[in-house]
Amino acid sequence: MSTILLVEDDPQIRRFVRLALQGEDCQVQEAGDLTTGLAAAGEYRPDLVILDLGLPDGDGLNFISELRPWADTPILVLSARNLEMDKVAALDAGADDYLVKPFGLAELLARVRAQLRHRAGRELADPQVRFGEVIVDLARRQVSRAGEPLHLTPIEYRLLTLLLTRPDRVLTQRQILQEIWGAGHGADGHYLRVYVGRLRHKLEVDPTQPRHLLTETGVGYRFVF
Amino acid sequence: MKSRQLFPIDRRRVRGPYRYGLTLFVCLATAIIAKWLTAQVDPVNLAMLFLLAVFFIALYLGWGPALLASFLSVALFDFFLVPPHLSFAVADVQYLITFAVMLTVALITSRLASRIVQQRIEALERASRTQALYEMARELAGTMAVSQVAEITNRFLSRIPGVHSRLLLPDPSGGLPVAATAPAHLGPRNPAQESYSLGEVIEVPDPVGDRTLIYLPLAAPNRVRGVLEVDTDVATLASERPLLQTIATLTAIAVERLHYVEVAQATQVQIEGERLRNSVLSSLSHDLRTPLTALVGLTDTLVVAGESLPPIHHETALALREQAEKLVGMVSNLLDLARLNAGRLALCKEWQSLEEVVGAAIKLLRPALTRHPLRVNLEPDLPLVEFDAILIERVIGNLLDNAAKHTPPGTAITISGAQDGREAWISICDRGPGFPANVDILASFVRGRTAGASGTGLGLAICDAIVEAHGGRLCLENLPEGGGCARFSLPLGTPPAMDEEVWEEAP
Repeated sequence: MSTILLVEDDPQIRRFVRLALQGEDCQVQEAGDLTTGLAAAGEYRPDLVILDLGLPDGDGLNFISELRPWADTPILVLSARNLEMDKVAALDAGADDYLVKPFGLAELLARVRAQLRHRAGRELADPQVRFGEVIVDLARRQVSRAGEPLHLTPIEYRLLTLLLTRPDRVLTQRQILQEIWGAGHGADGHYLRVYVGRLRHKLEVDPTQPRHLLTETGVGYRFVF
Repeated sequence: MKSRQLFPIDRRRVRGPYRYGLTLFVCLATAIIAKWLTAQVDPVNLAMLFLLAVFFIALYLGWGPALLASFLSVALFDFFLVPPHLSFAVADVQYLITFAVMLTVALITSRLASRIVQQRIEALERASRTQALYEMARELAGTMAVSQVAEITNRFLSRIPGVHSRLLLPDPSGGLPVAATAPAHLGPRNPAQESYSLGEVIEVPDPVGDRTLIYLPLAAPNRVRGVLEVDTDVATLASERPLLQTIATLTAIAVERLHYVEVAQATQVQIEGERLRNSVLSSLSHDLRTPLTALVGLTDTLVVAGESLPPIHHETALALREQAEKLVGMVSNLLDLARLNAGRLALCKEWQSLEEVVGAAIKLLRPALTRHPLRVNLEPDLPLVEFDAILIERVIGNLLDNAAKHTPPGTAITISGAQDGREAWISICDRGPGFPANVDILASFVRGRTAGASGTGLGLAICDAIVEAHGGRLCLENLPEGGGCARFSLPLGTPPAMDEEVWEEAP
């Protein structure tokens, strides 16, 4: 049974999130502010933290930066702020995914399940990764689609494996650019647009309606199986 | 005679006609002293005494009395000291040389002496004038309001006797107040306005009397800031024209400085206002979203739980959720529009792929599009376009949502993208009833096409505002074969260069 820490100041939101998670057979610990939240994180060692960004005694960003040095617990951020830079700041600080308020239960549960699945460490035991018609052989550095070998450039391959090895996590544009092109390219978003576009044309059935390489507009990218 | 000096200094020269009386007295006194000394001193040496007297007269009484003293000294010397005494006759012809030398020396020294004195006075006047201008400039530099500038300028000019001045500043429309002291003979002419618009000095002499009105434009480095009206007499004007010009320039610079102070303050206020508006919007957004989140989540919980309840309760729960979702849509539309209307829209522009933003919008709208087959038809090789991806995603999303809401289920929706000259066009076309004619549907709060469809009518207004902020156009048209088509353009630019990857494929 997974333990989930819910740090949120609104009792009604806590109530329905708790009910939903208990329905998923999770144990839910609740905290109404940042200080109790951090204490609870130390005490219960949760498998997942659901964190509201606007807390009465501080910014949720502080929670992330305080937690990250000693725990790699996945963090799902709830943001009432519609401003993309808040989400980007939370993700850059070490959060794994975000949901904008208001959100539906189905969406919440899907995100929670995805994070818990990775927590269980199931993926990447097999060096062969499959999605759709595509098979990526991480050991041989080969990619094939519907049995036919696919030719990816070195950057395309690195970009694909970067996203592929962190499924269901939102990587910000800056994180990807720094990882693939280096620290000097943090602002060169157009590289990312072009390369993601090329990857979609090579890997997706319909590049205009991608199913695996998803855009989080204004924030970054997410890979889903 | 009126004083023409702006800053009379403490001069040791005696002025007025009685200088000549004094001259007469000094010369006579010299003659008496000389007469008294005749027994002991040679007459030629006594001539020196007269020269000394002339020199002092030149120094203290000026050039005119010195001239008189020169001739008078020679005459008195001849009369009292040259034999025969008490007569102008000269016994010894050699005294004629004495007279000539005496007169020449007296004239030259007195001329030189009086000129030196004059120059000293002028130098002192210049220094005092410079000092006064410096003080005025310093005072002007410390002013915080235009009224203070006017007060300082007027006070300074009023130190010139017989001079009155006024500072005329334009109202916001550029009109100057009509000069109150303007003489009646001017008629409808407004010389102040002329001076202001032409940037030239205009003089209006009074036909009777010796007074003149002079209008000096306050020509600051950037533009004419107003007019300085000076009422003075002709003689003062003749001598003080350069000074008036300097004062006008100093005043102009002060007024311009205050203008920029005002501009800077207004900008500061505007920035503060925008910051306040943004913080109000952001806290409003937070305060509205928190209960909405609870509402949506709790009704969702009810829907899930309601599956095991009697159908009537389950239906109620579903209706609740539907209404909650509508409320969410409306609130987010209202907040968006408030943000768009809150002033200059801060666009977060980046070079983006149209294909990507279309895909993201479709993904976002997927639940609303379930009952409509969707066709996407983008031209291959569309270039990157510079836009704010979140806002353009919102535009495409709103247009898709609009098409889905106002068309019967089962009818197709087509998204197309094309490049046309210097613009990229995205169109969302449907097979529904089309847009209503003769209604400005882009204005805020105009409801959509079919009665009963939900929405506050804000969606299209938001789209229009966003597209316009990007320098594009939003057009709504009905297709001849039926259906509505919403098209918007985005200007194309030159995307930044990319270092293309050089690589060799592994064998």
